[in-house]
Amino acid sequence: MNNIWGSMEQYDPVVWNWIIAVYLFMAGLSAGSMLVAIGLKWYKKSRGLPTEGLPVIKAAAIVAPVSISLGMALLVLDLTKPFEFYHILLNYNLTSVMAWGVLALLVYIPLVFVFAALVFEKQVLKYAPWLAGILKVCRQLENSIHKLIFVLAIGVGAYTGFLLSALISYPILNTAILPALFLTSALSAGSAGNVLVATLFFSKEKSDCIDQVHRIEYPVAFNEALCLVLLFVGLNFSGPAAQGALGAITQGVWASVFWIGVVGLGLLVPVLSSIFAPKSWRHTKGFLITVSCSTILGVLALRHFVVYAGQSYIS
Amino acid sequence: MTKRYVLVHDENKCIGCQACNVACRSENNVPESVTRLQVRIEGPYGNFPHLHFKYNRVSCEQCENAPCVKVCPTGAAYVNDDGIVSINENKCVGCLYCVAACPYKVRFINPETRVPDKCDFCKESRLARGEQPACVTVCPTQALTFGDANDLTSEVRKVLDTKPSYQQKVNLGTEPRVYRIPSRRGGIKA
Repeated sequence: MNNIWGSMEQYDPVVWNWIIAVYLFMAGLSAGSMLVAIGLKWYKKSRGLPTEGLPVIKAAAIVAPVSISLGMALLVLDLTKPFEFYHILLNYNLTSVMAWGVLALLVYIPLVFVFAALVFEKQVLKYAPWLAGILKVCRQLENSIHKLIFVLAIGVGAYTGFLLSALISYPILNTAILPALFLTSALSAGSAGNVLVATLFFSKEKSDCIDQVHRIEYPVAFNEALCLVLLFVGLNFSGPAAQGALGAITQGVWASVFWIGVVGLGLLVPVLSSIFAPKSWRHTKGFLITVSCSTILGVLALRHFVVYAGQSYIS
Repeated sequence: MTKRYVLVHDENKCIGCQACNVACRSENNVPESVTRLQVRIEGPYGNFPHLHFKYNRVSCEQCENAPCVKVCPTGAAYVNDDGIVSINENKCVGCLYCVAACPYKVRFINPETRVPDKCDFCKESRLARGEQPACVTVCPTQALTFGDANDLTSEVRKVLDTKPSYQQKVNLGTEPRVYRIPSRRGGIKA
């Protein structure tokens, strides 16, 4: 390629950068944390166990609203016209995955705050007694709100994958596996985030229901690994451009991010540590913090890998 | 759609002089750092001494099934009756989704308006006056033919009916409206 006149800078195929990768991570973290917390609540309820004041649920009430708000702030700041972002709330083109995402988030975000307010009802009422009436209504609708959040959280987790898979000319992104991969990795980020915050701030006893959260980690890690294998094996069978995109995991800096970050920190460390770590370590603070941080970094690496390596290979 | 504006780039006649690029720049006030239209000189192909280059026009392909229009969340990227993929600056928030979605990588953010920009066949200026786009008018070798392909008597229709042509990345189903007449010395490379 030899251009005679003008800069080639605008032709860089990497259009979306780390800000989008961090947003995709934050949205996944929020959705995953809600799915884990509500799932745990239902699990406990079905066994007739108390669900109030569980450290993991308290943690989710912090993790989910904070992460989605930070993610949204990043997203808006990344627009080339951040002060005109409201147009996206007024105009909807329903062939666009982003428009679906806006609609889902429009309902999801307030509901996550309602969830948090119900979990921390006492503290909220202490500082804002005028909310008592609204909270009472929400408490009566709590079950329906949980169901709605659960469905919307699946939507938020998956839409971030569809957002990228709609980009038809990037072989790594334009696959149906991406939404599934994002949803499962959102679950692992969410459970790790919940465990981390629960261990740091809310856990009083060593085994404070972190066990049940741990129980979903194996299937989630298995699914995540499966999606990654499917993604790259699928590319191998999808023609020369897609085969070229396999370079993403064999060469360059993004291959290192993939093998060290995504596979190493995100999958191997958590799985191996829960197999080989001595029983006496399992519920110690240090162990839980290390493993959940490793999982979170792995998912963050996955989002960066997908955003950068995904856009680097164009068909 | 009553009109179907298409552009044909004859890669045999093109000499890569960039007159089209410069004309586009001055007609549309394109800022220095960005460009709506480039002719890339690719190659050399063949064995010495029989070397040749390929002249690859890079500009908006005016897809009939435009990915940029499909992904735009606000409808700021749209297609009118004229079939020209256009941008409504007022609705755009600058999410870059259309820039990422374009398989031909021809959308860019205009540093002055902060809105995506690209070739629109000079629709606001020259086309509105009934003239040909700037690149077509200025081409010294008449490598470019532009017109309404729905008009059976148009020159562009005659060219498309009588010469072999190809479009880029047809496998993506975007149905680009920029047609290319392959160089006799080069093979067809989509």
